[in-house]
Amino acid sequence: MKRLITAFTTLALLGAVSLAPRAEDDPYASVRDKLQLCQTCHGEKGASTLPQYPILAGQQMYYLYVQLKDFAAGRRQDSIMTPMLQKEAKMTRDEMKLVATYFSEQKWPKTNYTVTEEQKHAAELMAGSAECTACHLGGFKGNSRVPRLGGQHEDYLLKTMLDFKYRRRTNAPFMNSLMETFDEKAIEAMAAYAASMSD
Amino acid sequence: MIPLKKNTTLIASIGMSAALLAGMTGGAVAEEVKKATLFGDMQKVTQDMLDHAAGDGNNFLHTNGNYAQTRYYPAQQINRENVHDLVKAWSFNTEVVETMETTPIVVNGTMYITTAFNHVHALDAATGKEKWHYKHKMGPITTYCCGPNNRGVFPYEDMVYMGTLDAKLVALNAKTGKKVWEVQIAEPELGYSETMAPTVVDGKVLIGTNGGEYGIRGFVKAFDAKTGKLLWTFHTIPENSAGVWNEYDATGRWMHRDIKAEKAAYAKNGDPYKTLGGGVWQNMAIDRDNGRVYFVVGNPSPDLYGAIRPGDNLYTDSLVAVDLETGNYICHFQYIAHDVWDLDAVSPPILTTVMDNDGNMVKGVLHGGKTGYVYVHRASDCSLIRYSEPMVSQENRWVLPTPEGARMLPGANGGVEWSPMAIDPTQNLVYAINLHQPMTYHVSEDPYPGGKLWLGGAFKVIQTEEQWGNVSAVNYNTGKIRWKVKTPQPMIGGILATAGGLVFTGEGNGRFRAYNSTSGEVMWQYQAKAGVNAPPASYNVDGTQYIVVAAGGNTQLDYKRGNEIIAFKLKGR
Ligand code: HEC
Ligand code: HEC
Repeated sequence: MKRLITAFTTLALLGAVSLAPRAEDDPYASVRDKLQLCQTCHGEKGASTLPQYPILAGQQMYYLYVQLKDFAAGRRQDSIMTPMLQKEAKMTRDEMKLVATYFSEQKWPKTNYTVTEEQKHAAELMAGSAECTACHLGGFKGNSRVPRLGGQHEDYLLKTMLDFKYRRRTNAPFMNSLMETFDEKAIEAMAAYAASMSD
Repeated sequence: MIPLKKNTTLIASIGMSAALLAGMTGGAVAEEVKKATLFGDMQKVTQDMLDHAAGDGNNFLHTNGNYAQTRYYPAQQINRENVHDLVKAWSFNTEVVETMETTPIVVNGTMYITTAFNHVHALDAATGKEKWHYKHKMGPITTYCCGPNNRGVFPYEDMVYMGTLDAKLVALNAKTGKKVWEVQIAEPELGYSETMAPTVVDGKVLIGTNGGEYGIRGFVKAFDAKTGKLLWTFHTIPENSAGVWNEYDATGRWMHRDIKAEKAAYAKNGDPYKTLGGGVWQNMAIDRDNGRVYFVVGNPSPDLYGAIRPGDNLYTDSLVAVDLETGNYICHFQYIAHDVWDLDAVSPPILTTVMDNDGNMVKGVLHGGKTGYVYVHRASDCSLIRYSEPMVSQENRWVLPTPEGARMLPGANGGVEWSPMAIDPTQNLVYAINLHQPMTYHVSEDPYPGGKLWLGGAFKVIQTEEQWGNVSAVNYNTGKIRWKVKTPQPMIGGILATAGGLVFTGEGNGRFRAYNSTSGEVMWQYQAKAGVNAPPASYNVDGTQYIVVAAGGNTQLDYKRGNEIIAFKLKGR
């Protein structure tokens, strides 16, 4: 898997120039090469089809920007994203904003995840006790610094919530405290439930 | 649930920096004014009209009825004898299907309402027909707690004023909905946002801030109503926030503080005032005789983790009075020193005459706490005269939060949340809506995360336990509960009392009810399509009295969302 990704990366970087629109009418001209790189894993225009790569297309701009800052500063640790944003895809704050804006402007893809009645019930209990919608809003659509969860890949949601629970992802202390109070089964149900939400 | 379109073409054509300003998040849309025409004759709102609002049975000029914030409406066309004939007069659907907390403001037949994400609509108050629609151009960075709420505008002279989620204050032309000026109140990236309606008096626009969940330093600011120039700032957190190391709450209960450890931490780390929170969520009461401003201050940051912020954390969880001209401190009373439960002070204070403990009638201030008590103060020095019987169950207070979670009642939403209370001064009664929501309180030792959510732990509703709400009437001269009606769900929104002997309030299940204000008897009800979780208002057009309320549900308690403003009048009128 690792090797495959590296191959993709190189290919994408080579392809970047020819795929980009004319620089003068492209607001994203300065980050086109970065965008190409991102799309090797996160899918065309960020509409990831692979479950381990979170969907970026249509995600909240400010949330994406904060994550990029956090990866780059090492506040959010991931074996792929952190080193990448510190080296080959190193960006200025403005470039990060631009990249985040680009992805936030794309259309959130349809994912078609399903949820069992039992999981739905468990997830609704969890959502009720932690008031998830107070921040993630109805339909888990998110806003500004709060990410959209609805329709996100189930595997990714599960991984990141478990990372919160076991403090492997530590850039959001509140989400750590919250996930610590739920068992893995409830979190699995929540991942399925959130993934199954569509527009 | 937010049917807002992103304006991609606009953004592409105006280039990047403008695009970033224009905003691209869920709630962000380009500013736009539709049908900006003048209907009818909208007169100026003078200072005199605002000062006499308590006796004005035609308009509804203040979020909470008048400067004393009594929410007691003087009209009595709708009363106990005929309220069963109350029917829907009209309804209006906004564009935004999300949480609604707006108080409709009515000026001479024109109504102003707001929605989540800061839209403003001007409507014909007799028909619900739209006059204009303003959409705030939201910046991409907003940091708020508890939903993208807005609680309404304040009218003054020929403008209406609104605070925004991206922490701006905007002044709109009341006739056209066109923006006259806009100022940045504080930095949204650091956790500041606005959901309250401003209060305007003597040419000053007063507004607080949200952000107690993000480590802000709270304030009340005064801006010039004409120009938007900042006139003064009162920091709700003084540079010496340690206080008197009070170990007991306002009801005399020990709070398990480890004063020795706190003093050692204070000596070592200094005063935590820079990130100590202290938001002001709701409108201030104005004492026009003395030029005083009374408001309540919210929780310290981080909510649950106290060791990092030693001291009483002044003036969090307090009633505070400042001078209207200068913003200088006058007096305060702290309900809970060093709060670690987020049982703060949010519901707007009410000014009225109360009886002190020697039987003298004095100027008083009432506040309904998240603790579930009504507190009665002497206005002159903010001191506490009495507190009421508790309106909700008190269990295990004040158990300290633990990593595993400690159960306590009330839960962190109250008692009385931000919901404004109302009074009926002819009966010495104050009406409050409450939550009964058992929670566990969890602590986590988190350092300041630089503008990110900072609770220092988490609150959890205990789903296996029953939750409910109630409407309570309390005699503020004795502290005794006169009546209490249980509701199937915890209550959030607000209440209105009228000279017709009624109180009106809504519920998360969409029920909007009128109660007999003396006995609590349910006299009328209406079933809305979404949660009725906003404060009702009343007004009169051409001799017909209306009751009006928003039914948009609530984000925080996840009550069914909607987008409707509903006005009621008597059948056949
Ligand atoms: C080699 C594959 C790969 C590439 C290339 C890649 N990413 Fe990622 N990205 C990931 C993985 C895997 C995760 C999930 C990390 C985790 O589990 O915490 C991730 C997570 C993210 C997140 C967090 C999303 C969320 O919902 O929290 C953002 C934002 C992101 N990537 C942006 C980018 C950007 C921008 C680029 C291009 C500069 C990029 N990524 C390139 C694999 C990749
Ligand atoms: C008080 C506000 C709040 C509440 C309540 C809340 N969250 Fe969050 N959540 C956030 C914020 C803010 C972030 C972004 C953190 C960051 O900046 O990295 C987040 C991030 C997340 C993420 C990461 C998404 C991604 O793309 O990586 C998941 C998953 C999540 N929350 C699930 C939940 C669930 C499930 C609940 C309820 C059980 C919940 N949250 C309750 C505020 C909240």
